[in-house]
Amino acid sequence: MSSQVLARLRAQRLTRIAAAVLAAIVLASLLVPWLSPYDSYTPDFALLSHPPMLAGAHVLGTDPLGRDLLVRVMWGCRISLAIGVVATLMSVLIGVSWGAIAGYAGGTTDQLMMRVVDVLYSVPFVPFVIVLTVLFGRGLWLIFLAIGAVSWLDIARIVRGQTLSLKQREFIEAARIAGVHGIGMIRRHIVPNLLGIVAVYATLTIPAVILFEALLSFLGMGVQSPMASLGSLVADGASDMQSHPHLLIVPAAFLTAIIYAFNYLGDGLRKALDPRGQP
Amino acid sequence: MSIAARPVALAAALALGWLGGCSGAPPDGSAPAALQVGSSPANDQQLARTLDDEPRSLDPALATDQPAARVLDDLFEGLTTVDVGGRIVPGVAAAWQQSADGLTWTFHLRGDARWSNGAPVTAQDFVYAWQRVVDPHTGSQAAQNLSPIRNAPQIASGEAPAQTLGVEALDARTLRVHLVGPTPYLLELVSQPYLYPVYAPTVQAYGDAWTRPAHLVCNGPFELAERIIGNRITLVRNPRYRDAAQVRLQRVVYYVLPDRNVQVQRYLAGELQWTDSFAANEYAYLKGHLGRQVVNAPYLGIYKLDFNFDLPPFRDNWPLREALVLAIDREPLVHAMRPFYQPAYTLMPPLPGYTQPQPAWTHLSTAARHALARELYHRAGYSDAYPLRVDLDTSVQGADERHFYEAVAASWRSILGARVQVDEREFKVLIQDRELHKLPLVHGAWLGDYADPYTFLQLYYRGSGNNNGDYANAAFDALLDRAAQEHDPARRYQLFEQAETALNADAAYVPLFYYSSRHLVKPFVRGWQSNVMDRNLSRYMVVLEHQGY
Amino acid sequence: MTRYLLRRLLVAVPTLLLITTLGFALLHAAPGGPFDADKRMLPAIQQAIEARYHLHEPLWRQYLRYLGQLAHGDLGPSFQYRGTSVNQIIAQGLPVDAAVGLSALALALLAGGGIGVTAALREGGAWDHAAMALAAVGISVPLFVLAPLLVLIFAVTLHWLPAGDWVAGSPSHLLLPALALALPYAGYIARLMRGSTLEVLNSPFIRTAQAKGLPSHHILWHHALRPALTPLVSYLGPAFAGVLTGSIVVESIFGLPGIGRFFITAALNRDYTLVMGITVLYGTLIILCNLLADLCYAWIDPRVRLA
Repeated sequence: MSSQVLARLRAQRLTRIAAAVLAAIVLASLLVPWLSPYDSYTPDFALLSHPPMLAGAHVLGTDPLGRDLLVRVMWGCRISLAIGVVATLMSVLIGVSWGAIAGYAGGTTDQLMMRVVDVLYSVPFVPFVIVLTVLFGRGLWLIFLAIGAVSWLDIARIVRGQTLSLKQREFIEAARIAGVHGIGMIRRHIVPNLLGIVAVYATLTIPAVILFEALLSFLGMGVQSPMASLGSLVADGASDMQSHPHLLIVPAAFLTAIIYAFNYLGDGLRKALDPRGQP
Repeated sequence: MSIAARPVALAAALALGWLGGCSGAPPDGSAPAALQVGSSPANDQQLARTLDDEPRSLDPALATDQPAARVLDDLFEGLTTVDVGGRIVPGVAAAWQQSADGLTWTFHLRGDARWSNGAPVTAQDFVYAWQRVVDPHTGSQAAQNLSPIRNAPQIASGEAPAQTLGVEALDARTLRVHLVGPTPYLLELVSQPYLYPVYAPTVQAYGDAWTRPAHLVCNGPFELAERIIGNRITLVRNPRYRDAAQVRLQRVVYYVLPDRNVQVQRYLAGELQWTDSFAANEYAYLKGHLGRQVVNAPYLGIYKLDFNFDLPPFRDNWPLREALVLAIDREPLVHAMRPFYQPAYTLMPPLPGYTQPQPAWTHLSTAARHALARELYHRAGYSDAYPLRVDLDTSVQGADERHFYEAVAASWRSILGARVQVDEREFKVLIQDRELHKLPLVHGAWLGDYADPYTFLQLYYRGSGNNNGDYANAAFDALLDRAAQEHDPARRYQLFEQAETALNADAAYVPLFYYSSRHLVKPFVRGWQSNVMDRNLSRYMVVLEHQGY
Repeated sequence: MTRYLLRRLLVAVPTLLLITTLGFALLHAAPGGPFDADKRMLPAIQQAIEARYHLHEPLWRQYLRYLGQLAHGDLGPSFQYRGTSVNQIIAQGLPVDAAVGLSALALALLAGGGIGVTAALREGGAWDHAAMALAAVGISVPLFVLAPLLVLIFAVTLHWLPAGDWVAGSPSHLLLPALALALPYAGYIARLMRGSTLEVLNSPFIRTAQAKGLPSHHILWHHALRPALTPLVSYLGPAFAGVLTGSIVVESIFGLPGIGRFFITAALNRDYTLVMGITVLYGTLIILCNLLADLCYAWIDPRVRLA
């Protein structure tokens, strides 16, 4: 099954390009800080917010503290990708399980589970993050936790909705007659049919998660400085838009590239995973 | 397909091209050349100003935040007020005398001072207002500022009733104030918003809701026409103001814009004529394109770091504290990161008549100062093998503040080898932790409440409410006590200078820089001058004829 | 259907109660109080303030008192802004957010839906790729970059539209914020619609319709669109609620007196009543909007039985 999927994936040109771009960024984010003479935290007051000097010492320029922007952005990629992938994985695992079980079980179980979703939706997020900050400190894990705790809700709702539709289909009837029930049904028949829409939604979630972390940085609750994520670099750069546009364009370009890449990857994934094998 | 396969490159190229054009030339319409200013007042006398935050309340008794103070300066008038240059001039009080020992002041009120509903402003209005401020029931955080007035501290602690406050109305137009000690800055103090008079019947009738536009009664040059919380406050000219003929503006609108970049954008779009700040990182750009519209003048405030004297590592460790004070190259740091502020070497910002003490180490060369710092650091027991590890706690204010502290931490790292981690905490969490004395090194900016050294020095008086680090220095306290009883202003200042010198010698804090006012002002707005308390009352302003933005 | 509706509404009450309780607990668990300030307060004054707002009482009593007021529709006084009630702030902010939010969603549905569906119809073609690239802009560029960019272009440079402020009933003040807010939603909706339309178009019953020789636009409108809408409907439920309680970014950048910004600053300033008020509002909206979404499900997809 998976070799078929991979073959289909490889057959799509855009997906290959997207995967290549992502791989390149990941590789760069690992190698560049190691190879570069600059670190990401030592200021250089002689060169504050310098625009890119493509042939000179700082290829992409410097930030407001004179730190090399390329190195900062590479670190930012690492952190944003980590946040994006881990938090999304968390939310997909929880969300799909929750939504599929709720949708398939129906009746009171469904009602109860979806009411829980409603309740969690309405929890004021900022105090929640503050409490987490106090309990767990300001580390990266807190951000994974906070974002993961909120992003699974959307997927749960979508999956539950799809499950409700799927439940009524003939092949489910057939499987039930064949003796498949409960968890087995969910695992073998419902979830595979959901993977398409879940894949699309997951690739929509990764950029949302990365941007959510940017909003947290905007509010001062994201990654602690001098560590930086792409989101916090973009948030800082946005306030400098008129005077030093490179501070915005450079991280935004990488952010956009990563998000575009995930989008095309997700699209390819959708086509490859579709069990009906349509091209 | 080929175009779509390179969306990133295309988008990036477009963005670079467009924004590249942006970084060089000013946006059209905001170039100074497009603006023409006449010499006579415009027909439409309207001014749009900004506030950095929503005022907590328009009740003068509760006015401890700057946005509230700004608006109240236009709505009300106190015993004294400030003129265009920020100097104290008579307000509702036409004249005053003080007794020989300086403990009793008598204010004679004008006969033509009126409330916006026509009722005369009487001495009783002041008594009512001031009692309200110190009454714990009101819950005013300005109560501590009234401590020079007799019985004020006792009333604020709940030990005495509000009626015992040392202020009385001898008749409708005479107000007598009884002080605890000579208070040369009293005239300055009574010009502050929390000592404005208040019209008792409205407060008694409407309670907390008396500040709504429908109910507010005021005695200043403007009245409250509209207040949309989180958006704007609209003031219109008050025809019943005693000096209404001199007020030229018809309307003043204060827009509440916490985001500084938004203030700048709206200013460039021509929708605002006066901003209360601008972003630090845009300074060079704005200065280059707007020239003299960028206003920045000395402001009575200091940006500093406070030590916690209850905890290691700074408790009883003078060499370490002094090392940290020395190991910052203030000139290049402030020049690079905050070119519109001034480096600070001592607590008091520049104040006319006051001589700032200069610590001895300011005369050392950079190399000598670094060497001394390192020597002290080693003497304190630290080295490269065993570096100082401590958190520097600051509240989250945005990129500006964070960058600055990162630079300070990097400075300590490169000169001493100390590892100071900048820790941003959410504001309320920081306040609480600071009160619980959990933080060894904390950001502690301070803006003066009035133009007198006491407002800064009292920060380090033992037991003072704002002595966050629990600093205690008997010699320093003794000097402040003597100054409180000193009648002669010059000798009083000398005592303060000595006290400040003692503070510096003990490395009680790390001075960083002094504040400046930060405004963008359209060239067709006149009738204002920069002053050290940054009070620019709308009553003096006028809008000249102009074309363009 | 009516029994289902009644049951849902009945369930709404304990749900709302749970939301309120959780919110209250969370809020008070966060360290710091509404009146902690830079300058220390004298103890007597602190006590007086706490007495005034009942903050000295045990938490359960404060909570019951709050519930009692809530039952009467009184959301309490704001702790931050003395003299102003939470009802006032919400009454002032809700119409603003509603106007901007609903306009934005309408724009997003039209643009995003149109782009998504047409992209699916021409799958793999030039328009498909271009449309998805465009949609990705809305998704990948943060609002706090897009909004100032729009202001920079249309207000500061071209002077076509005001850079901000709220003037009730003025379309020119509504346009830029609505446009800015619409972009991320349009992006999501475009991708969502494209994905689900493609799923539907590839399903057997559509192929049957095609085999029957029905014209393609007929197939689209009468057979494909309704099932394709289901993921959209579940997305729109919370999106509606979210849009009605305002976007902090749009409100900050355009200086709109909306609820979103109040929510964040109230939480940061520990304005308990304001946070609770907005939480209760949001909770109510979520429940209502989700209910509407579920009803739409049943209407769109007759196979769904709302048991």
